[in-house]
Order: sequence, then C-alpha cells, then structure tokens
Amino acid sequence: MTRGRWFTAIMIASTALACIFLILPLLALFLRTTPATLVSALGSPPARQALLLSLKTSTIAHVFILLVGTPVAYLLATSTFKGRKTLIALLELPLVLPPAVAGLALLAAFGRLGLLGGPLRAVGIQIAFTEAAVVLAIIFVASPFYIRQAVSTFEGVDPEVVAAARALGARPWHVFSRISLPLSLRGLGAGSALAWARGLGEFGATIMVAGSFPGVTRTLPLAIYAEFDRNLDTALALGALMVIVAGAVLMTTRVLSQNR
Amino acid sequence: MRAACLLVAVTMTLGACVRDEGSLIVFAASSFADVMRELAPGARINAAGSDTLASQIREGADADVFVSANESQAQALHAEGLLQAPAVFAHNRLVIIVPDDNPAEIERLEDLERPGVRIVVGAPGLPLGDYTRAGLASLGVTSILENAVSEEQSASAVVGKVALGEADAAFVYATDVASSGGRVRSIELPPNDVKITSTIAVVTETNRPEGARDLVASVLGERGRRALAVAGFTLP
Repeated sequence: MTRGRWFTAIMIASTALACIFLILPLLALFLRTTPATLVSALGSPPARQALLLSLKTSTIAHVFILLVGTPVAYLLATSTFKGRKTLIALLELPLVLPPAVAGLALLAAFGRLGLLGGPLRAVGIQIAFTEAAVVLAIIFVASPFYIRQAVSTFEGVDPEVVAAARALGARPWHVFSRISLPLSLRGLGAGSALAWARGLGEFGATIMVAGSFPGVTRTLPLAIYAEFDRNLDTALALGALMVIVAGAVLMTTRVLSQNR
Repeated sequence: MRAACLLVAVTMTLGACVRDEGSLIVFAASSFADVMRELAPGARINAAGSDTLASQIREGADADVFVSANESQAQALHAEGLLQAPAVFAHNRLVIIVPDDNPAEIERLEDLERPGVRIVVGAPGLPLGDYTRAGLASLGVTSILENAVSEEQSASAVVGKVALGEADAAFVYATDVASSGGRVRSIELPPNDVKITSTIAVVTETNRPEGARDLVASVLGERGRRALAVAGFTLP
C-alpha cells in the first residue's frame, strides 16, 4: 500500500469512528421512545414548568449579559492598559471551570455563610433557593461565552474606519453606536446565541446554589435529572428538546459567523 | 513508537469497558454509604439516592449488591427480575435537622410551619422524600411542605444543604446526622406511624455472585448487626 492511501484510510476510519461515537448517542435519544410519547411527555406538568422557568431565567440572565457584557467587551477590545490580557483571562475563566467549582465559588460568595452572605442578609436578601440564584448561576457560567466572542468581534472592526470617524469629529459614543456596533452585529449575535445555549444547559452550579424545586429553581437540565429517577419518558423528551434547541443555536451561530 | 502508543490507548479504552472480576460493586443508598464502606472494605461503593440507583440498575449498570433505603424500590426491581429476593436488614427513623447555629430558631415541629422558614426535603420518589411526606401526613402537618424550597435527589444532598447553612431545616434519617461532622443538630419528631424499612439484595445479573452473597450474609449476620447498631440503625 502506498503512503498516500494509508493516510486516507486512517482519515476515513477516524471520521467514521467519530460519527458513530458523537452522533449515535444523540440519535438513540430520539429512537428510545416514539414521537407521540415525546410530544405527550413534553406536555406533562413537570416538563412545562421546567420549560417556562428555563425560558424565563435564561432570558433575564441574557439581558444582563448583553447590557453589561457589550460595554465590557468594547472597552477590552478598544483600549490598551496594563493587565488587559490578565483581565481578559480572568473574565474567561468560568469557560473552563468545572460547573461544580462554579457552584462552590458562588456559594462562597453569595451563600448565607459566604463573603457577601452577611451583608445581603442584613438587608433581607437570601440568594439560595431562589430564581435569583438560578439567574446568577447562568450569568456566571454563560457571560464569558458572550464577552469572549464580543471582544474578538470588536477587535475585528477596521481601525481605519474608526480613525476616520474620529478625525471627522465623532464622539466615542457615536463611534460605538454608528460604526463599531453595526459592523459587529453578526459576531455579537453568534456570541449571544452561544451564551444563551450555555445558560439554558446550566446544571452543576444551579443545583448547588439554587437547589431543585418545581416551578422555582428546577430548570430543564435539573428536571431531566429529577425525571430520570421518576419518569424516563419525560427525561428523554426534555433531553430530545434540548438537542433540538442546541442544534438550532449552532445553526444560528454558523449562519451569523459566515459572510462577514 | 506511535503505533505502540495507539495500541496502548486502545487497549486501555477497551479494558475499561470489559466487566472485570475485580472487587465487588455495591449500589448503596447514600444513608448507608458509610456503614457499607465499613462492612465491605474492598468494595467499590456507588452512593446515591435509592431511586437513582434503581434507574441505573434498570439501565444495566454493573452492580452486585443493592442496598435500598426502602422496601418498595427493591421489591419493584425484584418483580422485574433484576434483583434476587430482598431482605429487610435495618430500620431507621426521621428527625428534623437544623444548622449548628440554628438561624431560624427551630425548636419543635410546629416551628417549621412559620412562614419564611426554608426547608429542604427529599424529592418525591426518593425513599426519604416519600417517608417525609408520609410522616408529615401522619402527624397532620403537611402544611409544612409549603415552606419547602428544594427537593433533593439524595439524603446526603439534603444534609449538605443544611450543613452549609443555606437551608433552615430539613427532614432526614436519624443516622444521617452523624455523617455531617457536627455541623447540624437534630430535633426528634413526635411519635408517628411511619416505619422506615431498608432492604438489601443481590443483583440478578451479578458478575461476582459469591462475593455478593457473602456480603449480604455478613450484613444480615452478627458483624453487620453490630456495625448497623453502632451507626444508629434499629435492627429487625
């Protein structure tokens, strides 16, 4: 066998292996029950409650991520200062943290016995077991996905266009709102979709900080975990739903990232 | 060299999948994790809620012995042919636990009805959750459940939320109090009708039938009874 064929064979075999390993389990999720069971399980009260709660908490979290994350990313992308790289690395750290560590960290900060627990309690706020805890957990794990993408998108805006606008007397706010932001919308959209999907799937930090109560803190992933012990059909239906949502998000980000 | 590396990697991956004849695998309700570690020192203990463990056994997990916090879970698996006949080996009782500093000033069962008290309970379907609901019903205080802020999937998760101080109180097995390392204290419940019965059984598809049978015999025997009594269980 010639060298070339040998290499081609390895590539094809690896691709086949990857397809089986990565796609088969997702397919199996759909084949395990009938579409009719999936649909009726999605209409069950635990599924509906979790779905509504997940939509609500991830939307609230997402508003915060966009409103705060965009100026943060713009500052990091457009200014040079000492420690900028370190700051970016610190802000991106939750990307690679195990979810359980994120949960521990949030408890250490906002828990009753945590760093801010005492002051918060003094003004009558307890975070644990509330929807606020779910939102905090989502913001913590998901915002780096948006900020990371937004920084690189803003960095990609042609500096000459910005310089020209400045030379013509545009103020920083106008440069941002009339030039940088419109030119970055696609990239920001892609980052936004990724962050939203990560937030929707958030599990580890939520179950540690927010606990699991139907309608209050039991989001989709937590409902899958709870229903696995009780009603496998509901768990499978919710799982299949999340695969579909994840697929849609991925398609969206691909479309948005293309033809800049 | 590269081929050798690949070969090693593939062998290790396959090796991990093959069911080995090694040490015994015990699926133990989290309340029994400590006592099972003591009674089966060489065994691998998979500790979780009884209903999670039952789901895993249904999905074909490699298990030799199932220790369930209740009777119905094991009976259901037995009826499905997945377990040999379960044997009752211990009884337990429910207690209230509060964090060491008791921020909500809970002294008696009635205090849990106060609005705003944050109570953690076992999820329905988890034996602890079902016992808790039955216990509160028998005491005529199901309204306490309106203060529940979280339904956890194992007894140890319930204890953890109180030990951390995040919850004001919870209902757990009396034997769970010791495992919190002194960070919670317990309050007795008034006498109630709930009888907590834990069972042990050999998994039908066991790969280590002799070891499994020996462990069950030892738990039911003198050594097991002594260890269970020390851990605070009542014996049948």
